[in-house]
Amino acid sequence: MKVTMTVNGRARTFDVEPNRLLLNLLREDLDLTGAKYGCGMGECGACTVLLDGEPVMACMTLAVDCEGATIETVEGLSSGEALHPIQEAFIEEGAVQCGFCTPGFIMATKALLGESPEPTEPEIREYLKGNICRCTGYVNIVKAVQRAAEALR
Amino acid sequence: MSHASTLQVLGRDTPRQDGVAKVTGREKYASDMSLPGMLVARVLKSPHPHARVKSIDTRGVSDPQAVTLTPQEVPGIRFCPRLVSTPEATYKDWRVLTDKPRYVGEPVAAVAAESEEAAQRALEAMRVEYEPLAAVYDAFASMEEGAEPIHDVIELNDQALKVERNVACQMEAREGDPEEGFKAAAHVVERTYRTSRRYHAQLETKSVLVRPEPGGGVTIWSTTQTLHNTRILIHEIFGIPMGRIRVVKVPLGGSFGSSIQVNTVVPIAVALALKSRRPVKLSLTREEDLHDHCSYQMVFRLKLGADSDGKLVAGHLDAWLDIGGHQVQAYPLLGCVVGWWVSLYRLPHKSYVGKAVYTNKVPSCAFRGYGNPQITWAVETLMDELAEKAGVDPLDFRLMNYIGKGDLFWGQGPTVKSIIQSCGVEEILSRGSEMIDWYNRPKAGSQRGRYRRGVGMGRGYHTSSAGAPVPGTVVDFGGAMVKLNEDGTFDYVSAMMDHGGGTMDANAKIVAEELGVPIHKVNIVNADTGTTVYDVCTHASRGIYSGGGAALKVARQVKDKIRENAARLLDAYPHALKFRYDPERDQAVIYAEGVSGRELTFKELAYAMRHKNLGTVAAVDSYRQPSCPPHFTGYFVEVEVDTWTGRVRPLRVVAGADIGTVINPKLAAGQVHGGFAQGWSMVVNEDLPHDPATGDLLNRGFLADYKVPTTRDMPNLDDFTVFFTDTYEPTGPFGAKGIGEGALNPVAGAVANAVQNALGVRFYDLPITKDMILAAVGGKEGQA
Repeated sequence: MKVTMTVNGRARTFDVEPNRLLLNLLREDLDLTGAKYGCGMGECGACTVLLDGEPVMACMTLAVDCEGATIETVEGLSSGEALHPIQEAFIEEGAVQCGFCTPGFIMATKALLGESPEPTEPEIREYLKGNICRCTGYVNIVKAVQRAAEALR
Repeated sequence: MSHASTLQVLGRDTPRQDGVAKVTGREKYASDMSLPGMLVARVLKSPHPHARVKSIDTRGVSDPQAVTLTPQEVPGIRFCPRLVSTPEATYKDWRVLTDKPRYVGEPVAAVAAESEEAAQRALEAMRVEYEPLAAVYDAFASMEEGAEPIHDVIELNDQALKVERNVACQMEAREGDPEEGFKAAAHVVERTYRTSRRYHAQLETKSVLVRPEPGGGVTIWSTTQTLHNTRILIHEIFGIPMGRIRVVKVPLGGSFGSSIQVNTVVPIAVALALKSRRPVKLSLTREEDLHDHCSYQMVFRLKLGADSDGKLVAGHLDAWLDIGGHQVQAYPLLGCVVGWWVSLYRLPHKSYVGKAVYTNKVPSCAFRGYGNPQITWAVETLMDELAEKAGVDPLDFRLMNYIGKGDLFWGQGPTVKSIIQSCGVEEILSRGSEMIDWYNRPKAGSQRGRYRRGVGMGRGYHTSSAGAPVPGTVVDFGGAMVKLNEDGTFDYVSAMMDHGGGTMDANAKIVAEELGVPIHKVNIVNADTGTTVYDVCTHASRGIYSGGGAALKVARQVKDKIRENAARLLDAYPHALKFRYDPERDQAVIYAEGVSGRELTFKELAYAMRHKNLGTVAAVDSYRQPSCPPHFTGYFVEVEVDTWTGRVRPLRVVAGADIGTVINPKLAAGQVHGGFAQGWSMVVNEDLPHDPATGDLLNRGFLADYKVPTTRDMPNLDDFTVFFTDTYEPTGPFGAKGIGEGALNPVAGAVANAVQNALGVRFYDLPITKDMILAAVGGKEGQA
C-alpha cells in the first residue's frame, strides 16, 4: 500500500505492507533509530514520536494510518549542531544516563510543553508516566523538563 | 577546608561527551545497528521447563535463504558465560544450543534469514520433538531425594563434576565460636527471609550483530559489560584465534548486571554468521528478554545475638539461592553473600552455610548489588528487631556495631580482603537522622485510621571493585591508554564499558585533572578488543575506582613523558618544569618558572616532537587496584500506607552517600535516585513468579505484567534529598570510590522498616504486596 507522510519536515512516500509498524518503517527504511524498540506493546514509551504534534507509540501505530500525517522524531528536533532547548536541558540536568529512553522522553516533553508551557511538577509526572526509565529514578528528568520549560518561555 | 577545594575538573558538573549523540538519536546501540547484506536471526526456544530434545526436523524450512542451526552444529563445549572468576571458581554448565532445555525459553535451535519475518516463518517451519521431564520450581523441593536431576554432570576447572540433589555449589565459612557466642548473648533474634525474582528491565533488550571476516574471524557488536571476556569466550567456544575476534564497544541501553556474562545470543549469532558467511543480527524481543535473565531469589535464615550492652556478639546465616536452570556466577555469589553479611556489622563469632540450587526456571544472574540488596534487607530489618529487643534505638544500635575505618572488609567474598581506609558512616547517619527528624518519628503501630505514616532507615555499602593486596578467586584489573594529540588534546582509550552512569566521562575527568587541562581537552575514544588492553568488566561498582585508577596511572606516565620531552626541547631540567593552563590560548603550558621564553604549550610540544621525529607522547598500562574500599550509603525514608488498598507511597527520602571525592555531582546523585527507584520497587512491586502448571513465567514475558516505577511512583523533587559526605579514599583516584550499587543496597531495608513503623507489622517476604498489607492490617484491627 502506498502511504505518504512528512517525516521531520520532508514529504516521503512508502510502499508498505498493511501490517508495517511506524516504528519499523522509521528505523529500518529511514535509519531513524532514535525511536527505540523497548517492549513492542506500548508499555515503555521508548518509541515515542509525534504524530501531528501528538505523542504516539510508534510500536503500536500502523504506517498506513499515517497517510498525510506529519511525523516528528528526535532526529528532527535539532538543526545542525544546535540543540533544541529540551535536548540541552536533558544534558545539563544529568537526565541522560544510558540514554535509551531519552529520545522518547524528549519527544513526550516536546508535546507536553506544546500543550502546557508552564507545567507543574505533578503535571509533568502525570504526562510522562507512560515513559519508563530504569536508570534515573526520574528526578533529573523532571528537573530537565522544568529547565526546558523555563528556557522556552 | 575540604580536600576537594584544590581540584580543577573533578567535583564540577560537566556535560557528558556522549550527551549530544544520546539526545539527538544519533547514538547507535547494538540493537540500532545494521549492515549491508545482513541476515536477521530468531531463536527457537523450549516451550518446556525441562525436556530432552529427541529430534529437530528442519526439512519444512522452504526459504532457500534461511540458515538453520541445531545443537549438533555448534561446538560441543560446556562453558560458563561469565569470566570474572579464576577457573577453580567457575562452574560450567551451558552450551550454545541445548538438547536438554532446563527452563522455558532456553535456546534449542536458531535460524537466520533475510528479514525478521522470514526468520520467524522459518522458525515456525522447524519441528522439534521433545520428551518432557519432571520439572521443579522451588529450591527446597529441588533438593529433595527423588527430585528430577536438572544437571547430571557439569565442569569445574576442566574436571567433570557430578551434581548431587540439584545443588549447584555450596560454601561454608566460620570464625570464632558461634555456639558459645550465642550462649553469651543477652538478646537473640532469628528469622527466615524470602526475596523475589526480579527482572532487570534494562530498556534495551539483549542484542548482537556479528560480521564474519575474511580468514575466519568475526567482528562483534553486542550488549555487554565486558569486551575482552566476550572475546575470550568466543575464542574458547569456537577456537577462532583471538586476534581475529574483534569485539567493538557500543553503548549499552541499560544493563544493571544483566550483561556481566556474555549474553546467550552472542555465541548463537557467531555460529550463524560463521555458517551463513553473512552478517547476522539477533535482538531479543522483550518477551524473550524476560525469559533470559533475572535476579537471584534467596531464602535466608538469619540469627544475630547481642550482649546486654547492645554489642553484637554472634551471628549465623543459612542462605539458599534459587539459581534457575544454569549457573552464571552462583559460586562467587555464595562468597559474596557471606562477604556482604559479615562486612556490615562486627560479629566476633559467626558461621555461614550457603547453597545454590538448580530449578527449572529462568537462570539468575547478577542484578545491581549482586545479592547485597537481598542480604542487607534481611540484616537491616533484623537489626531493627534486635535493637528493639535490646532496648536501644535502631540508629544508635547500628552506630555501635557498624564496620568502618580500620576494620577488615571482605565484601567481595572470603578471598578479597582489605582494610577500610575511609568511612563516612557516622556523617551519613548523623546528618540524615537530623534531616528526617529521626528521634521524633512515630512509635511503631501507634497510628489508626486509613493512612498511616512511618519512617524507617537502612544503611549499607557496596564495594568499589574487587581489588585487594593479594590475588583471590576474582579477576579484577583494568587498563588505559592516553596519548597527546598534535593539537594539545588527549585521547583516552579504555575497554571499560559505561552502563550510562558516566563512568568514561568520570575517568576522562581524572585524566584531565592529572594533566591540568579542562575536560574538553580529553577525548573519550571508542575502542575494541584489538586496540585496548584487558579490562575485566564494568561491575562491582569498579568503574571509577578501578577504571579511573588505571586512567590516573597512565596519565601520570604521560605527564612524566611530557616533562622529559619538554625538558629536552626547552633545555631545562625535567623535575624543575611546571605546568599551568592558559585559558586565552586554551592550551596547557609547561614552563621553567622565571626564565623568559622557556615554555611550550602542549600543542607546540606535540608539533615539535613530530617535526623532530621524537615520537608521540603516549602511555598504555594495566592497573590492579590495591584495595576494595566500600562506598557507604544510608537511607531515611518516610512512607504512607493506605490501609484500605494496601498501597504504599514514598513521601520523603533522605539519602547520604560516602563515595569519597565526588566527580560528577549530578550524575552521582542520579545513581542514588535510580538506586532508590529500584530498591523501592523491590519492596512494593517486583517479582517473577512461575506458573507451576506450565513452568512458564506467570506474566508470559509481558512487561505489562511486570511493573517498574514510573514518574508518579517517586517522591516529589523537594522531598528527595541526596547528600555526599566529605571523605577521601587514600587508595582511590583523587580520593574517589564507587557509587552504583551502594546507591541501591540499603533501600529495601529502609522501606521495609518504614512500613513496619507505620503499621507495627513486620514482613519477611519480598515484595510486600498490597494483599499482604491488607491481610496483616485486617487481621490486626480491621479497617478504621
